[in-house]
Amino acid sequence: MNGSTLMVSAFFAAWLSASLRLAGPVLVAALGETFAEQSGILNLGIEGTILLGALASFLTSYRTGMIWTSLLVATLVGVAFSLFLAWMYISVRASQVITGLIFNVFALGLATTLYRLVLGNVAAPESIAVFQPLRVPLFGRIPIVGPVIFGQTAPFYLTLALAVVAQLVLYRTSFGLALRATGENPAAADSAGISVHRMRYLGTLLSGAGAGMAGGYLVLAQVGLFRETIVAGQGFIALGIVIFGRWNPLKAALAALVFGGCDALQLSLQIIGTKAPPQLWLALPYVVTILGISGLFGNRAVPPAALMKPYVKA
Amino acid sequence: MAAPGNPNVTKLFERRLTPADSPLAVAGTTALAVCVAMGIAAIFFHHYGASPVQAYFGLFHEPFGTLHGFGYALVRAAPLALVALGTIVSWRSGFYYLGFEGCFVIGAAAVGWMSLATPRGPHLGPLFLPLAILLSLTVGGLWAGLVAFVRVRLGGNEVLISLMSNYVARFFLQYLVSGPLRAPGSLPETSVLPHDTWLPFLVPGTRGHAGILIAVAAALLVWALLQKLPLGYELIVTGFNPAAARYAGIEVGRRMMLAGFFAGGLGALAGMVEVLGSQHRLMDGISGNMGFVGIIVALLSRLNPLATVPIALVYGGMSVGADAMQRRAAIPSSITFLLESLAILLVLASDIFRFYRLNFTFLTRFKWRVSPGEDSA
Repeated sequence: MNGSTLMVSAFFAAWLSASLRLAGPVLVAALGETFAEQSGILNLGIEGTILLGALASFLTSYRTGMIWTSLLVATLVGVAFSLFLAWMYISVRASQVITGLIFNVFALGLATTLYRLVLGNVAAPESIAVFQPLRVPLFGRIPIVGPVIFGQTAPFYLTLALAVVAQLVLYRTSFGLALRATGENPAAADSAGISVHRMRYLGTLLSGAGAGMAGGYLVLAQVGLFRETIVAGQGFIALGIVIFGRWNPLKAALAALVFGGCDALQLSLQIIGTKAPPQLWLALPYVVTILGISGLFGNRAVPPAALMKPYVKA
Repeated sequence: MAAPGNPNVTKLFERRLTPADSPLAVAGTTALAVCVAMGIAAIFFHHYGASPVQAYFGLFHEPFGTLHGFGYALVRAAPLALVALGTIVSWRSGFYYLGFEGCFVIGAAAVGWMSLATPRGPHLGPLFLPLAILLSLTVGGLWAGLVAFVRVRLGGNEVLISLMSNYVARFFLQYLVSGPLRAPGSLPETSVLPHDTWLPFLVPGTRGHAGILIAVAAALLVWALLQKLPLGYELIVTGFNPAAARYAGIEVGRRMMLAGFFAGGLGALAGMVEVLGSQHRLMDGISGNMGFVGIIVALLSRLNPLATVPIALVYGGMSVGADAMQRRAAIPSSITFLLESLAILLVLASDIFRFYRLNFTFLTRFKWRVSPGEDSA
């Protein structure tokens, strides 16, 4: 193997590995959001929920050093805040776009304030316990593919498992059928004995769980510290991935991979050094997501028919 | 005594068939919601050892009790009001545009570049501002109009596309200030814009600049457009009932694209006002979340253009007061984000209370039920 092929294969290995790594958090958030949207709720508040989950996991890991507990706490914090969102969306029947959007501003204010409150006197960002890449004994030694696929962190494999579970639950269980019926035609679902409110609450809570976990994932397996700007629109990208994946968990996983690939390109290209400005690569994932949901490519995305429509029991 | 299942049973909260929508009920629930939000924020103030009364006094005294602070409040209010006006035009036309952060940045970048690039000379003086307004309206209008085009012609979701376009705009500005427009020095920012391109200061000794006049003029124009002109009527019908609008011969798609163009132009104008009036140079993060806070201002104005300027002044004033508190008492100014957003969330939530009637007979009955027991004993 001469030098240049070694270089190319190293580049590809680094790029693929980073793609999978970066796709993880947005995929978890997108999986949760799929349940909310299939039940008829557009939860724009996941951007803020991810931030709150990130803060919760950071503080838990900082205080206790237990990473799995931190991930669990992040998930529970996501559920707790989405209970408020669900109440706003479903019981109050407030506009979902407005509520979600303002919740994001609220979450930003809350997270910033709480972070300063707890770590007010600490100047430098503290290092916390984080997930380390796994070392699978046999498969990990396969050249290029081995470290890429078998050398990710534990939450990545959890996310993949969740994608499969989400697919099965949505399309192979009566709960999934009831949830999708609620999002397509709530009146019909209601007359078939399905509680529309309960289904929508569950969908929104699941999106909160996914978003909270995504925040924990982001902090515990990628960044290792907390900043107000840590989420940087990944919640919105997750929303785009749900559309990109046509409200289907497995297709969302593919869409997340496309996003991760674009995001990783910027890291890898910086390593080998290109003349193009880094901001061009930084903007790429957003541009690709915009193009993906613009309707330019593929068949027109058809959302659940009752998405964003509040339901009043007749 | 009322038995369970008896339809005459009295509950403390009784559901109404229609919400109470008298002005008193609306004002009452709104005031209650704001009070609860202020109460929750007071917990945070308390943590920093500030009494809530002092804190709230400080929040409003600096911007509205001192001339210097009021100047700053005007500075903050002008871009917020312009973003709010953009929100009103687009949302009332049924185009849920959320990309004002991006428009703000694009407008600021275009005008900042124009200010740095135009050759100096006395002949340009009075012409610069009209040209800058025209430029920002055009670039912002095209930026948002593109999203409207995608929505109308391709069926893309404008909410998400506009949210993500904010990040694209931000990276574009980052590129400008760290690359072609970067001034020599350690920070990625441009050099200070030439003085003769600044917006004039209104009150000597304060930072208050003419941007607020632009905001007031824009508010009047938007009000006139929506309330007095046939075009505005068509925009509102488009937002209210697109099917009816189409039936009445209104070209819904074109009207929506026009609304997007206006909204983006107003958002970019906010960026222009900020860069020419207040920052006087371009740097990353120039929008400071105003593209979102402006939307909140529009909502608090209940999408009424004439209410935007006073409400933006209150909001801008609060952020000035918060900054003063941060300087003096080290209370993080992010608390105001918390307070403002919580207030509007609870105002939205308070609508549910108008569906219920508080039953005072429940309370009297409760007393009555106790007294016969005492009699028999």
